Amino acid sequence: MSRVLVVEDERHIAEGLRFNLEAEGYQVQVAETGEAALAILSADSPGFDVVVLDVMLPGIDGFTVIAQMREGGQFTPTLMLTARSHPDDVLRGFSAGADDYLTKPFELPILIARIRSLLRRTDWLRAATKETKPQPDEPDRFEFGEKSVDFNLLELRVRGQAFPLTLMEANLLRHLIHHEGKPVSRKSMLEEVWGLHEDTDTRAIDNFIVRLRRYIEDDPTKPRHLLTVRGVGYKFVASPE
Amino acid sequence: MIAGRKKSIAFFIALGAGLILVILTLYIGWVLLDWRKGILLFLGVILVLFIVAGVVLNTIFLVREIRRNAQHDAFINAVTHELKTPVASIRLYLQTLQTHPVDEEKRKEFYAIMLQDSDRLLTTIEQVLRTGRMGLSGAKPNRVRLDLNALIEDCLENTVKLHQVPREALQFIPGPPMTVYGDREEIESALSNLIDNAVKYSGKALGISVQTEQLDDRFLCVRVRDQGPGIEKAELTRIFGRFYRVPGQLAARVKGTGLGLFIVRSVAKRHGGRAWAESEGPGRGSTFVLQLPIAR
Repeated sequence: MSRVLVVEDERHIAEGLRFNLEAEGYQVQVAETGEAALAILSADSPGFDVVVLDVMLPGIDGFTVIAQMREGGQFTPTLMLTARSHPDDVLRGFSAGADDYLTKPFELPILIARIRSLLRRTDWLRAATKETKPQPDEPDRFEFGEKSVDFNLLELRVRGQAFPLTLMEANLLRHLIHHEGKPVSRKSMLEEVWGLHEDTDTRAIDNFIVRLRRYIEDDPTKPRHLLTVRGVGYKFVASPE
Repeated sequence: MIAGRKKSIAFFIALGAGLILVILTLYIGWVLLDWRKGILLFLGVILVLFIVAGVVLNTIFLVREIRRNAQHDAFINAVTHELKTPVASIRLYLQTLQTHPVDEEKRKEFYAIMLQDSDRLLTTIEQVLRTGRMGLSGAKPNRVRLDLNALIEDCLENTVKLHQVPREALQFIPGPPMTVYGDREEIESALSNLIDNAVKYSGKALGISVQTEQLDDRFLCVRVRDQGPGIEKAELTRIFGRFYRVPGQLAARVKGTGLGLFIVRSVAKRHGGRAWAESEGPGRGSTFVLQLPIAR
């Protein structure tokens, strides 16, 4: 679950944000001053995925908070949410180290979308670093029927003929093989393979499945290895009867 | 407000132009009337002194203008914040109600929050508009006879509602029944500003008292006493200036437009009274006094 730190001294706005972000499935903590926010961030590193930061705070202001965060090596994606809409203020926010800047009053759906976009980027980064690391516990090769997959070479061999796989295709296939014989939900594929925590367009998976079937099935219209499980997702079967 | 500004600027422009004329006179005079050395020396000294005085005056004016500009910027920022924050909050809750199913209890809570925000918005709007009206010499107060103690009760009630503080935190010590001859809205605004300030600046250390008393047969006064952070001697008069806010931590902690006390003083003056602040110094609370003439 993604964690969001809301730095806002206006109690009404802080509580409104908390309600909405929790409804989105995030875990929310509120800090009322910049000093408190810095203390929470440094004590709890690297616990937060996104910071929503106000500018007009009692004590040190939001610009100082973000500058000190970045100086102290805190690179948590930060969205500044403030009533100050002058271009100079926006530029000041970005040059201090903000990742995004939104002025009050704001559109709630847009704020949520922007927070999601920051989270998505972090997820992508994480997924990318995960991929480059070797995973010794996973098999590098897998054979089924007359086919074999080489996850190191990103290659699928069918009766001596080689088909190149993309990184994502290989990862998806590995995930399905890992849960061999059991149905795997679209959501779990999105989360485990792509590192996304969204329930938006899980149908994107289907295109990948269609492509994989084209490689591994003798007749893609009558799949035997990569089966559809209605209402759930897909299932990989290594040796169908 | 703007007309007054223009007049004062015009004076300093005239001063600048005058000084240039003086310099020219001096120069031409020196060339043409070189032979009358004695008188010239005397005249020269006088004129140079005059120029120096003029330049000093102009510099003072410039510095004051720059300072006023800085205050004006701070004011714009503060008003922007005070206007946009409640609107942002109201919109946030409205959109929340629009997008999520909210149970009955939460919904009531949200309505209450939105009402509070709209009150806050209204307060700020009224302050800004009132400040604008104070500057217009044409707008005379609309005077009627007012029961001061009842008016204070109303203001206390409003403050309690606006700031969500316990009623016991505000003590009212009414003097004998008193009648003021004044503009209801203006007097109410002055009283509300004093009481609101006391609550805002006290933070958690409430314990505010409002007291009315008759000074002599012409004047009565309202004293608003708090246990808040107190005021430096040097700031006691400055705080009544338009847009002025005491610099430092406190102004950052307590949100405000810098108009409240200006309104209090203007209202007092318009009614033939006075307003001033007393404080033993930082950390020792402060007392604001509004003195008004008694209705005959």
